[in-house]
Amino acid sequence: MRTQIIIKQFFIAVSIVFFVSCSSDFLDRKPRGQLTYDTFFENEEHALQAVNAIYNIFRSWEFTGLPYLGATDIISDDADKGSTENDALYLAEVDQFQSNATNSVYSSMWTGHYQAIFRANLAIENIPNIDMDEQLKSRLLAEAKFLRAFVYFRLVQWYGDIPLITKILTEDEYFTQSRTSKALVYDQLEKDLKEAIDVLPERSKYAAEDLGRATKGAARGVLAKVYMVKKDYAKALEQCEAIINSNEYSLMPSYADIFSAKGEQGPESVFEISAVAIQAAVAGPGASPYNMVQGVRGIPNLGWGFNRPSDNLVAAYESGDPRRQATVIYVGEILPDGSTKVEDNPDILNERYNQKAWVPKHAGLQDNGPGNIRLLRYADVLLLAAEAYNELGNSAAALPLLNQIRKRARGTNNFILTDVTTTDQSVLGDRIRRERRVELAMEQHRWFDLMRWGIAGETMKAVGKNFVDNKHELFPVPQTELDLSDGVLQQNSGW
Amino acid sequence: MKKIVILCSFILSVTSALMAQWTVTGKVTDGKDGTPLIGATVEELGTENGTVTDFDGNYTLNVSSGKARIQVKYVGYAVQDINITDRASIDVIMVEDGVLLEQVVVVGYGVQRKSDVTGSIASVKGKEIEKIATSNIEQALQGKVAGLHVTPASGNPGAGAVIRIRGTGTLNNANPLYVIDGMITYDASLVNPQDVESIEVLKDASAAAIYGSRGANGVIIITTKNGRNKQKGQISVSSYYGTQQVTKEIAMLNGQEFASAYNQLRGQAYYPDPSIFGQGTNYQKEIFREAPIYNIQVSANGGNEQSSYNFSANYFNQDGILKNTSFQRGTFRLNSDTKLNSWLTFGSNLSFLISKSQNGPNVVSSAYRMPSLLTPYTEDGKFTDPTFFGLALANPIADQFYKSNNFSNGERLFGNAYLQAELLKGLRFRSNFGYDRSRDKSKYFEPQFEVSASQRNGSDRLSVGQSAGNNWIWEQTLTYTAEMGEDHTLTLLAGYTAEERSSEWIGGSREHFPGTVDELLYLSAGNDTTQMNYGGGVDEALISQLFRANYAYKNKYFLTASMRRDQSSRFTDVNRTGYFPSASFGWNLGREAFVENLNVFTDLKLRASYGILGNQASANTYPSAGVVSSGLYGVFGSSESLSQGATLLSLSNPNLHWETSSQADIGLDASFFDGKLTLEADWYRRLTYDIISSVPIPSYVGSQSNPVVNTAEVLNRGFDFSLKYNKSGNFSYSIGANLSPVKNKVTKLAQGKNEIFAAFLQGEPASHTIVGLPIGSFYGYQVEGIFQSAEEIAASATFGGEKPGDIKYRDIDGNNVLNDKDRVYLGSPIPTLTYGFSFNCDYKGFDFAADLLGVSGNKVYNAKETFRFGVYNWEKHVADAWTVENPSKTEPRVTNGGHNYRVSDRFLQDGSFFRLRTLSIGYTLPKNICENLKIGTLRVYVSANNLYTRQKYTGYSPEFANSGNPFEVGFDNGNYPIARSTQFGLDLKF
Repeated sequence: MRTQIIIKQFFIAVSIVFFVSCSSDFLDRKPRGQLTYDTFFENEEHALQAVNAIYNIFRSWEFTGLPYLGATDIISDDADKGSTENDALYLAEVDQFQSNATNSVYSSMWTGHYQAIFRANLAIENIPNIDMDEQLKSRLLAEAKFLRAFVYFRLVQWYGDIPLITKILTEDEYFTQSRTSKALVYDQLEKDLKEAIDVLPERSKYAAEDLGRATKGAARGVLAKVYMVKKDYAKALEQCEAIINSNEYSLMPSYADIFSAKGEQGPESVFEISAVAIQAAVAGPGASPYNMVQGVRGIPNLGWGFNRPSDNLVAAYESGDPRRQATVIYVGEILPDGSTKVEDNPDILNERYNQKAWVPKHAGLQDNGPGNIRLLRYADVLLLAAEAYNELGNSAAALPLLNQIRKRARGTNNFILTDVTTTDQSVLGDRIRRERRVELAMEQHRWFDLMRWGIAGETMKAVGKNFVDNKHELFPVPQTELDLSDGVLQQNSGW
Repeated sequence: MKKIVILCSFILSVTSALMAQWTVTGKVTDGKDGTPLIGATVEELGTENGTVTDFDGNYTLNVSSGKARIQVKYVGYAVQDINITDRASIDVIMVEDGVLLEQVVVVGYGVQRKSDVTGSIASVKGKEIEKIATSNIEQALQGKVAGLHVTPASGNPGAGAVIRIRGTGTLNNANPLYVIDGMITYDASLVNPQDVESIEVLKDASAAAIYGSRGANGVIIITTKNGRNKQKGQISVSSYYGTQQVTKEIAMLNGQEFASAYNQLRGQAYYPDPSIFGQGTNYQKEIFREAPIYNIQVSANGGNEQSSYNFSANYFNQDGILKNTSFQRGTFRLNSDTKLNSWLTFGSNLSFLISKSQNGPNVVSSAYRMPSLLTPYTEDGKFTDPTFFGLALANPIADQFYKSNNFSNGERLFGNAYLQAELLKGLRFRSNFGYDRSRDKSKYFEPQFEVSASQRNGSDRLSVGQSAGNNWIWEQTLTYTAEMGEDHTLTLLAGYTAEERSSEWIGGSREHFPGTVDELLYLSAGNDTTQMNYGGGVDEALISQLFRANYAYKNKYFLTASMRRDQSSRFTDVNRTGYFPSASFGWNLGREAFVENLNVFTDLKLRASYGILGNQASANTYPSAGVVSSGLYGVFGSSESLSQGATLLSLSNPNLHWETSSQADIGLDASFFDGKLTLEADWYRRLTYDIISSVPIPSYVGSQSNPVVNTAEVLNRGFDFSLKYNKSGNFSYSIGANLSPVKNKVTKLAQGKNEIFAAFLQGEPASHTIVGLPIGSFYGYQVEGIFQSAEEIAASATFGGEKPGDIKYRDIDGNNVLNDKDRVYLGSPIPTLTYGFSFNCDYKGFDFAADLLGVSGNKVYNAKETFRFGVYNWEKHVADAWTVENPSKTEPRVTNGGHNYRVSDRFLQDGSFFRLRTLSIGYTLPKNICENLKIGTLRVYVSANNLYTRQKYTGYSPEFANSGNPFEVGFDNGNYPIARSTQFGLDLKF
């Protein structure tokens, strides 16, 4: 009986202990297998990964998929929507200038590019506090600044004044950002680019495994374009000459090879995002949708068939220019790898496809293509230099640059694309523009060039598009963004 | 439950006949066969005065007056309360438990007499669900309980169901919590339905608030079978075998019709003579099959004075009606209770299961899409490449051939053990430890194959995965029961619980195997340069204190108050702790003289409750941590290798806490005609607030997803009715009905977010959630008719580009232009009424049972018809498409996607249905024959499930769970359909 009482008392004691005990460690749980913001940016490896993550977004849907092509080629006179009549009608609206501020091309570009800026800001804000190799630290910071400037440069050309975000916003700052004037945005991105130029190595100074990272040449190239937009031709030329004189780059002998596997990160590549399709059926972590969305749709059935080279582009080539054949896939043509003949798809009227986005059969199925995204070619730099010289009245210096491009294009056929010899500034200017169009066709440069030259309106109207002056020069700020801002953000004029 | 019965009989055997003023005698018999029941207790209610029946079932009891009430109890039979009303002789016919109003119900952390319950709790006995041929307890509950809406997750063997108790209470996780023999889980799939003793559905705040931060969506308590004390050992065997078929076929264009529709689409005679295709191929016939289902259960149970036990072993094997899908499961269970001494009891409920399933590809959609003029194979025996008709078209027969080497295996150990001590008179301490450990493995081998550019696998690949779950809970509870004087009864409960849940997974793959035979399919046999692997884990913990007081005054007035304090690891320290109180009141009007005098009611009780509950399951496991995402590779180097990239993608909200809901319930329990007819009616109002929702912030902030905050509100109001009628005797029968109308409405969304669009089809949202309407309402254009001429088009509002034969949509805003402003609310996917009926009867050894269930008031969207990325087959109605010769007023011209396939009421259909869920006819052999055969009892039966469904919907069945996403309910995306089955079975007892 006595033991029973003792045992019972023991139970009472135990139960009381349980009621009062409470361990707070027991309740502190952290995500498993994942770092958190509190534990990130602590070492060199973190710094490297955070910068790699910025490059990563350059292969995303927003940077290589349908809305991107809508905001570059399809909106211009280079390309039509393509694909079947009813697929992705929002792209047709953009093509015909019948869209409004709710069109997802505008919101995708805005959102995707600000997400890239977010990744860059995280790196730029946090890497300086990491205890690591100082040389690598400053290079990584320079890469992040270059990428941020690259993205801001696109945004400012598309939208004009934009919120300039250079840090991670806190909760009370989410809704208060207004549009910063274009000039200040340019100041910031020029500053970023100059800082990048000071630090970034030339392409040849990178280790082999780092090929594809931002280089001094790439930063100079982007800065040259910035100056071209600002019509500061002397400064643009200075950057172009620096690239040319670095002897880091050269034109590939064959134009068509630039867009083959052979041309990836080749001698002509100034800035290019590498992509690789690693495994079939699984969404590959190294690939992009760029090849899929522009692939042949029909027989053989390889892609979605968007971004159709327009009649106007096809007509823009000088007769016999082999670059047309290297840029456009026609029905009846044998694919570049000799595998299959492209047959008519009865669902698509007059189909054509962008050959520069074509890749042979690969491990990634259609879903993710291995084609690198060529963002800046040496030919582009040479043409910028030619344009700058001509604008400065130095046609003698401009002509050899222009003819260098034509010579490569004509290959061994001396009957086509003969050298340009005019020294009339205006005629030469026109020749350079035409050369630029066909040389860089379907590489997403055309719309930016038209804007820069201030001839978007007349060019669009000439091909029968509903371009409205003082409206369509800029994209609208996405409607959702305006609605959320509650008046802090104002819409562009005309929209 | 049984412990209380034992205790009561002990007390009652001490008869006190001192003050008796009235004597009543009678005989207690079994309602089924009239045999006397020996040892039944007969007690005078409200006293300790009672007796037991003798060997002939007779009793004599002296009671205080001719107005007294007696209660008759016998293990396994329903308790009966009887007014003596000046009678001297009362014979009592007892009916087996589960048929009459139950005596006790299981509540959170205890049991309660049904008559004392003040909350809203529905009970389902194991018997009521055992006639349904399914492995899944969730599916078995469909139609059984008022206020419980069950949607089968799919027809896939072993699949569960999506359960909503009293409407959809949140925009997030609206699944109920399961408590199985005291162990908490969100996944009840482990329970073998034949092991179930009873299921209690805790519907209102008073019942569920004791589960605090996890009670807001309701709680389902499952109690498994155990033996009974002093019960002779008994072995039972039960088994059934049956076959299953698809319930219906979707009417599609045959080969010839497809060819002419295709010609119409092209506007040219692409197929000059469609008739050569004839019927073509019926792909539904190709992918489905008649599939067997069988089940065998052996159990042994019994008990002596000190202990009781139940052991069961079960094997279930179901082949799916879709080829290459199957599910097999073996379940073992051992439940036991032992009284160690006069004050200590020990018990455990342990189950272990192993399962194996084949997960062949779900080709229901691709079979639906395949143009019927294509044969599955070409003349030279290869699989037909269907991509002429569209990129996204895959040959379903080829998929079934190449993608079916996909198996998963599972093991789960689940159970609890407890020790209970009577410390002082009325004071009981109980310590319960529950454990749930699971192991799952998957193995998928896909050979190298090529059917088309889009249906191919470049190199053979083996993918394997393993996951392990480890959950435990330790609960300490103290219960004190005191009777203060004659009129007051007080029960106090206090408890402390700690709980941890964690899981881990790992997996990998390789390519290029030297062969495809099973013994080579291990990763090491593959090429190691192609390897990929992954692994991860989650964990969480919860610490809680709980309190409850039940007070009864004169057995007429009941008061229950409860409080739970939860601390959850999901939230940061400042938001970690929550309090969840509830209070309820019950008034047993039936025991008031003014009601007794009406002589209408056997019993009448009014209930009212109010409480606050939480839902932490809507938050993910670490909602406040700013997680750094990895796998954001950069690609660098001449060899294009991946360089690991990682960063923060989204901003998080450290101030998040759980969703909360306030629930009010008013209920009435009444019974008439000596308890033969019972009615339960409840009205409820459940407002869920602080619903976790992402609040849109400007995109320039750069956060990939919007931070989540506690903001939205959803209101559910409705009634639950259930009615039962029992008639015992030679021809005994029972009829049950339940009916639950419910209204669902969003009352607040996040600031700055007026609407949530979801379920995008052709780039247009088909689901729209706004304040004032049900969650996930259908949204789109209204069809006004078919354009018959170019003049009509010119005179009407259009999108532009319409041609004669195209659909004319309604210009809602009347501005003569059609655009996204002309979309309207089209209907709700949530039924406004769910109901069930059951009928059971017994006559001379024959038994018959039928269960019916249905829903009404909801719409469903035939989304599968609108996915047209290629020229897929069309449903039969397209054969009547508009042409110049056939100017249809209802069916547009043949098109493929585009204008005529905009999200509109064209694809919206009535989702109501009414289904004969089960029908069974059985025969139990007479006793004398059984005795000759030396067996206890033998019953043979035939039964059918889903034999008949009355529905307007043209698809297989208008039920689509779509993984429970509340914004995408009611969309038919081409799901695995549920099957009809017929089976033959026998139940044998020794």
